[in-house]
Amino acid sequence: MAAQFGTWLDERLGWRRVWEALFLRKIPKVNWLYTLGSATLFVAINQIVTGILLTIYYVPTPDQAHATVQYISTQVTAGWLIRGLHHYGASAMVILAVLHMLRVIYHGAYKYPREVTWFSGVALLLVVLGFGFTGYLLPWDQKAFWATTVGTRIAEVAPVVGEWVLLLMRGGQELTGVTLARFYGVHVWVLPAALVMILSFHIYLVFRIGISSAPGKED
Amino acid sequence: MAEDELTETSQSPDPDGEVNRRAFLSSVTVAIGAIISAGLGIPAVAYIVGPALQRTQEEDWIPLGSTSKVELGTPTLFKAKVERQTGWITDEDEITVYLLTEDGRDYLAMSNICTHLGCRVRWIEDQGQFFCPCHNAIFSKDGQVVEGPPPRPLDRFDVKVEEGTIYILGG
Repeated sequence: MAAQFGTWLDERLGWRRVWEALFLRKIPKVNWLYTLGSATLFVAINQIVTGILLTIYYVPTPDQAHATVQYISTQVTAGWLIRGLHHYGASAMVILAVLHMLRVIYHGAYKYPREVTWFSGVALLLVVLGFGFTGYLLPWDQKAFWATTVGTRIAEVAPVVGEWVLLLMRGGQELTGVTLARFYGVHVWVLPAALVMILSFHIYLVFRIGISSAPGKED
Repeated sequence: MAEDELTETSQSPDPDGEVNRRAFLSSVTVAIGAIISAGLGIPAVAYIVGPALQRTQEEDWIPLGSTSKVELGTPTLFKAKVERQTGWITDEDEITVYLLTEDGRDYLAMSNICTHLGCRVRWIEDQGQFFCPCHNAIFSKDGQVVEGPPPRPLDRFDVKVEEGTIYILGG
């Protein structure tokens, strides 16, 4: 029955070929370090799911943001768990992405023909850091406020464009509700859109080119 | 490329041990995936549904006003402020109640919310009836349905009188 339905769908979608190309493809002899990319992807999915759930109660305004975060943590069923997964997942995301990058560097896996995969990976790392930076402000507590105050001041130190960048990030001279709203917008719309697009491209290249084997003595 | 792999993978199940290992690993992968999905999926459903199922409010006696303000034989409108905790916001809400007494001793407290679809009913003095403007429903003086779509009489509150002040039980 299920097999029949699978065949019926396959005639129309050709999903079996896709499945085989994605999951039954041949890979060289590798080790556990090669799972770091998949691990990062797994945490990214966790961040997307828990992040969407958090928006159900979170309100990005100066008078309510902190109250809604407290509400999620203390009142909502399993809210502590969802927020906790998103909170610790954020740190795990940065750590895993960096470890994944280090593995690629040590194995020289960024070389021909995988340069573009590497560049898109660098872009993804920047996106992940952007997520961390914007997300840190959203709980709207003292730590969030001062961390972003300092973070935007660091950007100000950049030569020539620094002051302009600070104004752009804060949405004005001071860190206000305007800043909170734009950080939220960037965190839930701009960066996720960038992540999905670049990540799809990155993974497409991994499937298209295949992964490199671990370098041997002669390499 | 995919073509070659296709034949490769379909030829590979040669020694029995190889097939079993592959089947074992794929079912373990599916099982772990299912556990993780359930581990996140079940709390996610609870998280979404939780506040929707929460009982709105503890009931408490709310003072409406002095018994002297209730006209004999005519439903009189009273308003009271109650503090309501909705989600993360504490709000002041107004509840409106029609009080009716025929003898100055027994009081009847009726909600002014139409039992049909929640519009506010009002007392029409000339006709001696409650009227709901949304779908022309009519309730009698004591809240019984006279005409129109409402499924049940106007909701009533428990009433008590203490030292000349009327209280209703609500929240």
